[in-house]
Amino acid sequence: MFKFLSAARKELLLLLRDRAGLAVLFIMPMALIILMSLFQEIGWGTVVMESRIKILFVNNDRDTLGMNIEKGLRSSSYFMLIDSIKSKRVTKESAREAVKNGDYLIAIVIPDGVTRSIRTNVRIMVTNTLAGFGLYKQQMVGNLSLKRNDTITILFDPTIKSSFKSAVVSSIREYNYRIENEMMFSIFNQEIARQFPMYKPPKIDYKEAMTFKEEFPSFRQVEKMPNTVQHNVPAWTIFAMFFIVIPLTSSLIKEREEGSLFRLLSMPVSYIELMLAKCSVYFFICMIQCALMILSGMFFLPLFHIPRLEIGDQFFPLFLIATSTALAALGFGLMIGTVATTHQQAAAFGSVSIVILGAMGGIWVPIFLMPQIMQQVASFSPLNWSLHGFYSIFIRGGSFIHILPQTLKLLLFFLITVLISFIYRQIKSPIKK
Amino acid sequence: MSDRIIIQIQGLTKIYKGSEEPAIKSISLDIYQDEIFGLLGPNGAGKTTTLSILCGLFAPNEGTVHIDGLDTASQLRKIKRIIGVVPQEVALYPTLTAIENLTFFGNMYNLKGNFLRERIMERLKVFGLERFAKKKVNTFSGGMARRLNLIAGLLHDPKLVFLDEPTVGIDVQSRIVILNYLHEINKMGTTIIYTSHYMEEAENLCSRVAIMDRGIIISIGNPKELVAEHPEFKNLENLFLALTGKDLRD
Repeated sequence: MFKFLSAARKELLLLLRDRAGLAVLFIMPMALIILMSLFQEIGWGTVVMESRIKILFVNNDRDTLGMNIEKGLRSSSYFMLIDSIKSKRVTKESAREAVKNGDYLIAIVIPDGVTRSIRTNVRIMVTNTLAGFGLYKQQMVGNLSLKRNDTITILFDPTIKSSFKSAVVSSIREYNYRIENEMMFSIFNQEIARQFPMYKPPKIDYKEAMTFKEEFPSFRQVEKMPNTVQHNVPAWTIFAMFFIVIPLTSSLIKEREEGSLFRLLSMPVSYIELMLAKCSVYFFICMIQCALMILSGMFFLPLFHIPRLEIGDQFFPLFLIATSTALAALGFGLMIGTVATTHQQAAAFGSVSIVILGAMGGIWVPIFLMPQIMQQVASFSPLNWSLHGFYSIFIRGGSFIHILPQTLKLLLFFLITVLISFIYRQIKSPIKK
Repeated sequence: MSDRIIIQIQGLTKIYKGSEEPAIKSISLDIYQDEIFGLLGPNGAGKTTTLSILCGLFAPNEGTVHIDGLDTASQLRKIKRIIGVVPQEVALYPTLTAIENLTFFGNMYNLKGNFLRERIMERLKVFGLERFAKKKVNTFSGGMARRLNLIAGLLHDPKLVFLDEPTVGIDVQSRIVILNYLHEINKMGTTIIYTSHYMEEAENLCSRVAIMDRGIIISIGNPKELVAEHPEFKNLENLFLALTGKDLRD
């Protein structure tokens, strides 16, 4: 135990004197959390007008539908309607040219008379329906047939995402249906009032019959709104914890290259004891990192007007997932540090592999935004297992049982990587020949 | 020199993985207590491999080694308590101070507390480093670092010391201090096994030398007697060159 403590003290001193290493471990992830949360909050929030998507809008209708679409899009926090370019009113042709040149991503052209067409068609439908009650003479109804509606043209830049395209088309379709419904009720009332002068049309308030309520079901019936912080803090914390690989491999390889390991192995202390002391210090650092990142999410991020991180009350599961993440990171570092022959090799492979595992595991982009094949690939990343564990606690209020699968996977990863390091060390001597 | 054998090597062979040629081939050798024994040879002769096997860092493919009656294959932990190793590289932590380095290495031999502190200060004084006790090793000159490297290997007063080129690349003053100290501890009963490229140094320091080349011992004996046996050579260096040739080695 005495030798273990002495070796741990030595590791701690070495780490504390490596300022660049400390910056990588503490300042980089903190900066990432703040920047990523800020960018995403601005991108999806309602704060900055410039972040809205500009839409060229040509309203040749100048009637109910055109005006309603315009009003609806203008009130949206996601779009900014542009109806003139360089003080010239946008036409269908100039809009097509602007989108073709890539100056704008979307243009909407409402043709002249589109409301009139809808109104005519609605009137034909109402007349035909009421004719069934014998309210109209046959020859009057016989000539009425539905007209083909005019077409609203939406021009898209080829680079625009299909999901976003669907959202724009759906919004316009929704306005169209609403106008048609309103017209239908209005014309029905007008026709009935014409046939029955005693009929007094009711004042209809066109409120939506169905409303929508957004809920985020959690294990503990706690209403928690997922936000960028609930993703960014655990994601970048895990990323930072895995970056312990860099100083750990550096320490392992330096010791080997500078000959200290040669000296240590000739002393009456076991290699396992030395590695345990080293890993204990790095484990301690990982846990401090995790605690600091979570605390900064709770108390530091709100200073930037970013939502506060909600961690719930499941502290033991939180400790467990943090512990297993730290162990997985240490195992990975131990494996790379044992197998790599040079410092450069370990640093390059270590950092690139963490970035790849992070990208795969949903650290950069949430998993649900990835294609199906990538979602399957993500399930092989230990960073993804850890992220799922943190999500379970922070977003779904999960308890021990809910994080158990991820915890076991991370611990298994730790055991496998340690085993690989151990076998490799048995096969290949850790010291220079 | 005592008659008691402290190191007994029999039929030692080491072949590194991926290498066809053995690094050392069937070496047999006895080293006596209180000797200063020199392992001499050009690069790639097998000196460091032999030393590494004696320290228990590599296992040989064939052969046995007994140190102070203990078998390196089964009693390594006990052997490690009585040996001290001074590697060829300055095997210290550059960002730790001299005291921090020595305290850590001392602790690995179970030295602790005031006893260790006093021992460290005493050794630093002997090697003219007491003023630099609290300085980081990365601020030391080559000679200072070499002296500290030696202290780290001798802090626990080992019965047997392995030194791998301890005076390479240092100034004359540092070399004199180191060699004087080695003489002194040898007089007090420490056996020293030493490798070097400096023939004159070996000739003056060692009671016996073994000249190695291409993994085998080609000559062994007291350096002065070896030279005397070959009157055509003026000194050990000439004899060494005659035995190992003038071809450049990798």
